[in-house]
Amino acid sequence: MALLSVRDLVVRFRTHDGTVHAVNGVSFDLDAGETLGLVGESGCGKSVTNLAVMRLLPAPAGRIEGGQVLFEGEDLLRLDEAGMRALRGKEIAMIFQDPMTSLNPVLTIQEQMVETIKAHKKVTNKQARAQAVDLLTMVGMSEPDRRLRDYPHQFSGGMRQRVMIAMALALQPKLLIADEPTTALDVTIQAQVLELLSRLTSEHKTAVILITHDLGVVAGLTRRINVMYAGFVVESANTADLFAGPAHPYTVGLLHSMPRLDAQPGEPLIPIEGTPPDLRHAPVGCPFAPRCAWRVESCWREMPPLEPVRETAEVQTTGPLATHRSACWNRPTAEEAIAGRPLRVDFVPAPEPVEVSR
Amino acid sequence: MTFSATPEAGPVNPQATTPAEAANRPLMQIDGLKMYFEITSGILMSRHVGDVRAVDGVSLSIRKGETVGLVGESGCGKSTVGRTILRLYRPTAGRIVFDGQDITRVEGSSLRAVRRRMQMIFQDPYASLNPRMTAAGIISEPLEIHGVSSGRERRDRVRDLLATVGLDPDYGDRYPHEFSGGQRQRIGVARALALHPDLIVADEPISALDVSIQAQIINLLEHLQDEFGLTYLFIAHDLSVVRHISDRIAVMYLGKIVEVTGSRDLYERPLHPYSVALLSAVPIPDPAVETRRRRIILTGDVPSPSNPPSGCRFHTRCWLRERLGNPERCVEEEPVLREMATGHQVACHFAEEVDGTAEQVQVTGRPGRGAPVGSAGAAAGVAGGVVAPTAPEGPQPRPRPRG
Ligand SMILES: Nc1ncnc2c1ncn2[C@@H]1O[C@H](COP(=O)(O)OP(=O)(O)OP(=O)(O)O)[C@@H](O)[C@H]1O
Ligand SMILES: Nc1ncnc2c1ncn2[C@@H]1O[C@H](COP(=O)(O)OP(=O)(O)OP(=O)(O)O)[C@@H](O)[C@H]1O
Ligand code: SF4
Ligand code: SF4
Ligand SMILES: [Mg+2]
Ligand SMILES: [Mg+2]
Repeated sequence: MALLSVRDLVVRFRTHDGTVHAVNGVSFDLDAGETLGLVGESGCGKSVTNLAVMRLLPAPAGRIEGGQVLFEGEDLLRLDEAGMRALRGKEIAMIFQDPMTSLNPVLTIQEQMVETIKAHKKVTNKQARAQAVDLLTMVGMSEPDRRLRDYPHQFSGGMRQRVMIAMALALQPKLLIADEPTTALDVTIQAQVLELLSRLTSEHKTAVILITHDLGVVAGLTRRINVMYAGFVVESANTADLFAGPAHPYTVGLLHSMPRLDAQPGEPLIPIEGTPPDLRHAPVGCPFAPRCAWRVESCWREMPPLEPVRETAEVQTTGPLATHRSACWNRPTAEEAIAGRPLRVDFVPAPEPVEVSR
Repeated sequence: MTFSATPEAGPVNPQATTPAEAANRPLMQIDGLKMYFEITSGILMSRHVGDVRAVDGVSLSIRKGETVGLVGESGCGKSTVGRTILRLYRPTAGRIVFDGQDITRVEGSSLRAVRRRMQMIFQDPYASLNPRMTAAGIISEPLEIHGVSSGRERRDRVRDLLATVGLDPDYGDRYPHEFSGGQRQRIGVARALALHPDLIVADEPISALDVSIQAQIINLLEHLQDEFGLTYLFIAHDLSVVRHISDRIAVMYLGKIVEVTGSRDLYERPLHPYSVALLSAVPIPDPAVETRRRRIILTGDVPSPSNPPSGCRFHTRCWLRERLGNPERCVEEEPVLREMATGHQVACHFAEEVDGTAEQVQVTGRPGRGAPVGSAGAAAGVAGGVVAPTAPEGPQPRPRPRG
């Protein structure tokens, strides 16, 4: 049984200017100790998916309108708030892009850490404080005894993020969700934080969902990747397969539109034309169709299912042998993925049918 | 480099140069540029208690038609360099020469005349456009300020500019919120182009954009450069992007340039310990390459620019210094930007020792190569008799996570 199993998750926001179709039927599994990257550009639903798992969607606008979130077999969507509170932090912990949003500015680090530990463990103040010192030492803080008495604003961005990691791992959760944990940091500090994160989670065999828009970050850190676009998982594969043979036009586009540090200078970029869709419209067909060079006629009408790229007897959803899947009616061939464009002679992307208005 | 010439030393006389000299001279030349911001304390009687040395002795030249990239971590002074050379600030010291004219201290109408030829593109396409003005209004504002054209002619120019940056000329009467982020950045580019500038300082022009949109703007900037012969100072913290667009790259650390080199060389043979660390920290979207690379994990944070470390500013975090047994020279003597035999300019006393180290080789994940780099000027070698253990063979010393 998978540690976490998200099934057909649908999340919508009711806002004054319409319904936002943020997550449109997302399914994925995660084994204990596994690392999963969740990539995609701004607004594609990465954070909302995970906030739904944690049941932390902003109320009343954000609503889970369908699906299941099974954690060790138990559907979290049916749990009451008290049950959820017992789970958060202890079983599933989360760190955010901006640690200031999750640290209380008027409490010292010590007060916050001791409180977190005592909320879930029967320990004395002294024991909790000793554990806090250990945790800060573990994340490489010098003079942890003294730093415990500091307030969050007295730490630099990188140090705050380490405090967050220390607090997130305090109760040895089975799953850690890290939402863009290094996006606000400089690269050298990002390297410090990611190194720490990957060392600690592999030592403790913590399962990790790492959310980022940076394909480089997941390339070195996660074993498996889900690519999201407009509230759908459009491609899913183990990390090596995804980069060696991307099988969805959006993934191909992302890889060709970003300069790589090791590219030859002057190597041209192939941008993805157009802009991401407005999620206030209910999705019709494949959401990538207006920007896709591979689109065929059916793309405008029907969303393709997430299916194996190569024929297989049994679909594996987790582990190193996870089946490479993509949701596409007209997958790029290996050569096309390398070229970054369709190579079939006379291929013309299907024009938008007149009757469908988006 | 500590440049002591006072800016008041007098402007370079543009008439004194021959046409050949004019063709060869850099479009922008800065020498020993310093830009300090005063720190004051007290509310009623504010006292000057120190300076943020945002830019502290920067020398750089930009040739016509060239793209020079400026990289470095947050707060190292990149934007301040850009803003100071556009004379949005009055420099504390040093000299700025634009197309042969010393503009360090120009004011008033001569400053306005120079500003026409230099424009800026900003990071945040949301904040940098006035929400109450139409796209056409925003783009024609510089034309208005400088009294260029009017009426029909101006309207035609705006339509032209919209088309040039890939927007529908009919979109001129829309407001910023009606455009996407990428489109807004195109409006910013159109505004910068309005007065036919020679130099464009692009300060993080794509950092705020969606990943899928960034390449559109990079390609647009490259295309405009070819079409109009523009010269760019391209400021960004993303080394992959800077390397893609730049001919040469200057790496900054704490208000100083530590290395300047061609963008190919910077990745293949970085010679400043900080450049090596910075490059090693940039993730490459390719797991096959990533498994061969090793990161240098720098310890600690960047020190404060109001109280920079003595000697070499990088000495508090330098892996090479530690490797060399912490030579005193790093703490006592400030390294100058010197030219190496390979054409790099590097500000490190021990730059020769960087070449061929496991750290340098592991940036690319490729085996090392090439002849040793001697210093172009002084004799190569390690002062102070410290022998550097630079053997790249044997078990690779995995960079230690913490010092
Ligand atoms: N509180 C909210 N009210 C209305 N819409 C929201 C709210 N929060 C998120 N959304 C919308 O839901 C969609 C998914 O947002 P989400 O935050 O999951 O994106 P993301 O992939 O995490 O992007 P980013 O990389 O910018 O963090 C977006 O279109 C967003 O505008
Ligand atoms: N107007 C100002 N007044 C006071 N201090 C300033 C001012 N502008 C910049 N600084 C300080 O000067 C230093 C350099 O800032 P600058 O904005 O040039 O850095 P940067 O390299 O562009 O950083 P970033 O990547 O974050 O944009 C910083 O310490 C900053 O706080
Ligand atoms: S080919 Fe069709 S289904 Fe596949 S990504 Fe393009 S538009 Fe979507
Ligand atoms: S001068 Fe010394 S401290 Fe500075 S970069 Fe070189 S080796 Fe490091
Ligand atoms: Mg998010
Ligand atoms: Mg800046």
